[in-house]
Amino acid sequence: MKLLRIYRALLTAQLQATAQYRAQAFLYVLFSVIRPIVFLAAWVAVANARGGSVGSFDVADFAGYFIALTLVSHLCMSWFAWEFEQDVAQGNLSPRLLRPLHPIHYAAAANISYKIVTSIGLLPILLLVAVSFHARFQTTLEHLLLFIPSMILAAVLSFLFDWVQASTAFWITRSSQVSFVLGRVSFIFGGQIAPLALLPGVLGTIAYALPFGYMLAVPADILRGGVDPARGLLLVGAQALWVLLFYAALQRVWRAGVREYSAVGA
Amino acid sequence: MPEVRYARIAAIFLRTEIQYAMAYRANFTFGIVRLFIVVGTSIGAALILFQYTDAMNGWTLPQMIALLGVYYLVQGLADLMFMPSVTKLMEQVRLGTLDFVLLKPANSQFLVSTRYVEPTQIASVIVGAAVVALGASRMQPSPALSDALSFALALACGVALVYSLLIAIGTLAFWFVRMDNLLVIFSSLIEAGRFPVDIYPGWLRATLSTLVPIGIAVTVPAQAISGRVDALGLATIVLVGAGSLVFTAWFWRRGLRSYTGASA
Repeated sequence: MKLLRIYRALLTAQLQATAQYRAQAFLYVLFSVIRPIVFLAAWVAVANARGGSVGSFDVADFAGYFIALTLVSHLCMSWFAWEFEQDVAQGNLSPRLLRPLHPIHYAAAANISYKIVTSIGLLPILLLVAVSFHARFQTTLEHLLLFIPSMILAAVLSFLFDWVQASTAFWITRSSQVSFVLGRVSFIFGGQIAPLALLPGVLGTIAYALPFGYMLAVPADILRGGVDPARGLLLVGAQALWVLLFYAALQRVWRAGVREYSAVGA
Repeated sequence: MPEVRYARIAAIFLRTEIQYAMAYRANFTFGIVRLFIVVGTSIGAALILFQYTDAMNGWTLPQMIALLGVYYLVQGLADLMFMPSVTKLMEQVRLGTLDFVLLKPANSQFLVSTRYVEPTQIASVIVGAAVVALGASRMQPSPALSDALSFALALACGVALVYSLLIAIGTLAFWFVRMDNLLVIFSSLIEAGRFPVDIYPGWLRATLSTLVPIGIAVTVPAQAISGRVDALGLATIVLVGAGSLVFTAWFWRRGLRSYTGASA
C-alpha cells in the first residue's frame, strides 16, 4: 500500500517533468519508426524477388511483425545505463543513495511516465504505417490475453537488464561501451533485422538462448498472432524465467557495486 | 593561391583535433572497435537478407556490400567534420561567440564547416572505402575504369549534398537559434541510407531524394560502381550537387546578415 502511494507521487511529479519536453519526446518517437520501416522495406524487396513470400511470411506479415516490433521496442525502452555512467563518475549518485527510497523506483517512475506521454504520439504513426503497407494481424483473443503479460514481462526484463548493465559502471569507467556492444548483439539476435523464425541456421537457435529476443521479438510475434497460443505460453514462461534470473543478478551486482562505489569527495 | 592556404588551414584543424583525441587513447581505440562492430553487424544483416534471394530489387550481394561501404563512407565524412562543426556553430550562434570566427581573416563558411573534427571518423571513412572495394572486387564483371571514375564523381556530389543540408540546418540557427531537433531528424533518417533508395515506398523515397538527400547521396555512387547508373542519373547528381553548394554559399551570407552577435 505504501509503495502504491509512493508511486502515485513519483508518477505525478515525473509526468509533469516529461510533459515539459513533449515536443522533443514526440520527435524522438516519430523517428523511432525509421529503423523498423527500413528493414520492413528490405524484407518486402526480398519477398517480391521470391514471388511474394519468405518462409511463412508474406509482405503483409512482415508489415505486421515490424509494426508490432516498433510498439514493443518503444514500450521496452530503458535508457538508465547511459545516464548512470555520469552519475557514478561525478558522484551524483551519493545523495540519491542517502534517500530512504531505492534509486530504482525513481528510474521506474521516469520510465513509465515517459512511455505514457509518448505512446499517444506513436499510435497514430503506427496506424499510418499499417495502412500504407497493408499489414496483416492474425491476432485472436488468446493472443491478446497472452500479449499483456508478455509485454509487461518484456518491459520489466529490459529494465532489469538495463540496470545490470548500468551497475558495471561501479567497476568500469566507460560502461556505456558495454551497453553499445550489447545493443549491437540485440540488433542481430533481438529480432530487429529479421523475425527470429527467419534467422538462418544456428543463429535462430542462439537467438532463443539469449535474453534479447524475449524483450523484442517474442512479444511482437505474439501481438501479431504469429505463434500458436500453446507455444506462446511457453515463451511467456521463458520470459518469466529471465526476469527472475536478472532480478537475482541485479540484487547481487548492485549490492557489491555500492560497496565498491567511492564517490568523488568521499 | 587561396586553395593551398585553405587546404593548409584545414590540415592544421585536423592535426589539432587529432592531438586532442590522442590524449584519450583508450577512448579513441574503443571508438575504432565500435566502428568494426557496427560495420560487421551491418554486413551480417545484409548476408541474412541475401540468404533468401540473389537480388534485392535488382541489387546483387556484392553491389549491396558496395552500397553499405558508401553508406559508411558518406556518414563518416559527415561525422568527421560537418556534423561536429554544425553542432558547434549552433552553440556559437546562441552564445554569440561566433564573433571570434567572423573576425578571422578567412571565409567564415569555410571556418565553421571545418574547424571541429571527430578524429575516430577517419577510421569510418577508411573502413567504408575498404568495404566498397570488397564489394567491387566481388562484382561480375568487375567494374571498369569508367565506373570507378563516375563513382568518384557521384560520391563527391553526394557528400556535397549532405554537407549542404547540414550547413543549411546550421544556418537556420541565425533565425531560429535552436535547431538541434532538425539534426536529430537528420540522424534518424540517415539510417535509411543503408539500403538502396529504390526499395522504399514513395513518400519515403521522395523525402530521401529531396529534403534529406541521404538516399541519393548513397545510392547513386553505389549504382555508379556497379555500372548501373545512366548518363542522366549522373548528370542530375552533378547538377544538384553543384547547385546545392551555390545555394548554401548564398544562404550562409544571407543568414550572417541576421546574426546579431554577443553584445548587440
